[in-house]
Amino acid sequence: MNFLKKILAESGKLFEEGKPLSFAYPLWEATDTILLSTNSQNKSGPHIRDNMDIKRTMFFVVIALIPCYLFGAYNIGYLHSAAMGVPSSILSDFILGMTYVLPILIVTFIAGAICEITFAVIRKHEINEGFLVSCALIPLTMPPDIPLWQLFMGTCFGIIIGKEIFGGVGTNVFNPALTARAFMYFAFPTKISGEKVWAVGPDGYTGATALSIPANPTEYDTATNLFNQVTQFDFSTLNLFWGLIPGSIGETNKLLILLGGLFLIYCGIASWRIMIASVLGLVFTAGLFNLLADYSTNAMLTITPLQHILIGSFLFGTVFMASEPVTSTHTNKGRWIYGFMIGLLTVIIRSVNPAYPEGVMLAILIMNMFAPLIDYYIVKSNINMRLSRNA
Amino acid sequence: MGGFEDYLSIFTKAVFIENIVLAYFLGLCSFLAISKSIDASVGIGMAVVVVLTITAPINWFIYEFLLAKGALVWLNHLPYGLSLSYDFSNTDLSFLKLIVFISVIAAMVQLVEMFMERFSQSLYNSLGIFLPLIAVNCSILGGSLFMVEREYDVTQTIVYGFGSGVGFFLAIVALASVRYRLRYSNIPPRLRGVGMAMLLTGLLSMAFMAFSGIDL
Repeated sequence: MNFLKKILAESGKLFEEGKPLSFAYPLWEATDTILLSTNSQNKSGPHIRDNMDIKRTMFFVVIALIPCYLFGAYNIGYLHSAAMGVPSSILSDFILGMTYVLPILIVTFIAGAICEITFAVIRKHEINEGFLVSCALIPLTMPPDIPLWQLFMGTCFGIIIGKEIFGGVGTNVFNPALTARAFMYFAFPTKISGEKVWAVGPDGYTGATALSIPANPTEYDTATNLFNQVTQFDFSTLNLFWGLIPGSIGETNKLLILLGGLFLIYCGIASWRIMIASVLGLVFTAGLFNLLADYSTNAMLTITPLQHILIGSFLFGTVFMASEPVTSTHTNKGRWIYGFMIGLLTVIIRSVNPAYPEGVMLAILIMNMFAPLIDYYIVKSNINMRLSRNA
Repeated sequence: MGGFEDYLSIFTKAVFIENIVLAYFLGLCSFLAISKSIDASVGIGMAVVVVLTITAPINWFIYEFLLAKGALVWLNHLPYGLSLSYDFSNTDLSFLKLIVFISVIAAMVQLVEMFMERFSQSLYNSLGIFLPLIAVNCSILGGSLFMVEREYDVTQTIVYGFGSGVGFFLAIVALASVRYRLRYSNIPPRLRGVGMAMLLTGLLSMAFMAFSGIDL
């Protein structure tokens, strides 16, 4: 490593104050800290002093996401071969899927890096690894054939408006990846919602997600019966878990998401309270709607709590987005309320709002908006409690 | 129509689906200015709830019995054999509704202000100039005008006015708490203050799009 150190030290002189390349100092600094370990300490960020510094935190999240990428690529290839009716192997499916996943991944990272570096250079802060996590999350929430220019615009919006204008990592209010996705969802709805985009295949092929089936039934029936009537895909509960179904790239295989979640909880990055609370909220609301289903002709109300957990991106959103340390509530009591409300709003938006079959993204964004309020009142009630105790 | 379900649906619509701030962008001046502090936001939110709940039905009565086309027809049937030698069944004074509604609102705000000065001095001081400015808060005029446009009856109007007020309350308290969390953020200098508040309003209303499209 000595020669690397020497090269970096030599080139570093060019980037010092007053030298011609000084404007690009953050770039040099980022290269230096990625290649070599540093002896500097964190000055800001969402965590206490620990050997889990901000770089390692961010990197562990990216590691937890890698299995989802691999399965997502395989799933695209598998559904494609199934639609064509040709025999295929795991490897060929995987390679075919990679031809869709890799361009999305590359475009997202280029867009994210451009925004992050521009802001770092202009505002003279260090390049934060936070954008790696946002950029790793965005492709996983996309349908496989999203137009790349839309992806580019969405990522720029998410990184700049969702994060950079708040002052970078650790100070943002809304999850940048979800801000990017919401922007694309409302700006280009035809490419990121509906029934045609969630799986790739020959021309005229449609791959509806499990959620859009009870949302637009031809005639009223319970959700389980409607799922069983679908011949194109296997929407049995077991296969919903294994994830060989159409959907966003990263959301389909629930086992890998759960493993990623356990990994994050083990490292102390994500909050288990939020995950459990949101599942509770979802089960409560879905159970309530099941009871009300007899009085309505809305097939969405008949989805059982277990199906609600397994279909769509609920688990993905809960594990990787709702429970992140920055945009969620920062008090333990607040985490229970926050998570519960995410589960509740998810089911409400899914079932009651005909405009959106999936509600996780907007549920998390709404609760991002109310998280500071929940914290404020919990802290205030603690203060009042202690005042009265010590009065 | 009518009945409890109808009122519940009007209320939910006014609070979430057609939130007066985040879906219609009405009442932004006090929304942006007061949201610097959470306690003041709670205060002005309550003031808006009270003023809207009172002014909307008052304006409804004024509109139904004085201003709308044919509203003055009761003048043709005065008791005790009185009669004015003019046919009022076609009189249409609805062109006056803007100015009449505004004066009713201004009078009501004056009352609320006096009430607050008497009973909550600290809140009165923290709201400062913005309390009288509720009089020209377009969310309150908007509430009255929507009530006319949607042809609500009197109970619906009360529910709608209350719901719109609660919607405003929710939005301003949410924005205030978000700004409270941002007080240590390193925001670009030119964006600090109102610029950031405008951007946040946009982001909040994007999140509130979750409810748009719900058909009650």
